Amino acid sequence: MQPDQLLEEIREANLAYLMLAQHMIRADRPQALYRLGLSEEVANLIGNLTPGQIMKIAAGNMLMCRFRFDDEIVWNLLTTNGKVDNTNGLHANILMAGRMAEAA
Amino acid sequence: MRTKSIVGESREINLAVHLIQLGARLQVVESETSLSYERLLRLYKEVQGKSPAKGMLPFSTDWFMAWQPNIHSSLFLNIYEYLNKSSAIDEIDAVIKAYELYVEKIKALGLEHVLTITRAWRLVKFVDARMVQLTPCTCCGGKFVTHTDELNDDYVCGLCNVPARAGKTRASALVH
Repeated sequence: MQPDQLLEEIREANLAYLMLAQHMIRADRPQALYRLGLSEEVANLIGNLTPGQIMKIAAGNMLMCRFRFDDEIVWNLLTTNGKVDNTNGLHANILMAGRMAEAA
Repeated sequence: MRTKSIVGESREINLAVHLIQLGARLQVVESETSLSYERLLRLYKEVQGKSPAKGMLPFSTDWFMAWQPNIHSSLFLNIYEYLNKSSAIDEIDAVIKAYELYVEKIKALGLEHVLTITRAWRLVKFVDARMVQLTPCTCCGGKFVTHTDELNDDYVCGLCNVPARAGKTRASALVH
């Protein structure tokens, strides 16, 4: 991938992510905090960003979103199926919700 | 004579309608709002198009300990705890929002939801009363619903240690 193209794709991912986050925060803040894994303070800031600010933040060489679960167990569960139908998906989600509650 | 604001009452009616739409039993709505029984009854019929179920609410903590209900209620309670910690909202709002997130997740996984809003509400009351709690599994570290008075030091959850007959319900037997 050309460096220019890479920067462009990062910008697009950032833009989509920030716009989605803002939309979610404005629609239902408590649920958005859960879905995004954000603190209330940061959510307030993102909720109040202007389109111009979002454009500026999105342009850069760094992604604004990152992997929330840096955890082998969670990823193993997410990528396999489990003994009884789809229990690994449930298991992964219990772990994810729990880890977030600890961090919150 | 009650001195209540109209705005406050409309908020209560909205809450009642929301709970009834999610399938809450009338007793739940009754305890979460100060609307009269007669009004709630009319509201229930209007929203659900039928009379509310009669009889007492399920009152046992044991239901939450069976294998499948335990997994579902643990997922709900983890979400609930997160919402409660991350934002300052009323208990009933947290129950509703957590329940919606739970149902959404279960649907996305292609499963049937086992936990009803009435049970979810009940579960939160049991936690408030310190009858049940979330206990970390010593194997995966996830937190699961257990009785408070049990020895939980070496607790292993039902997903790390799946019982032999897990998931073999009457419903699944009918499908196969």
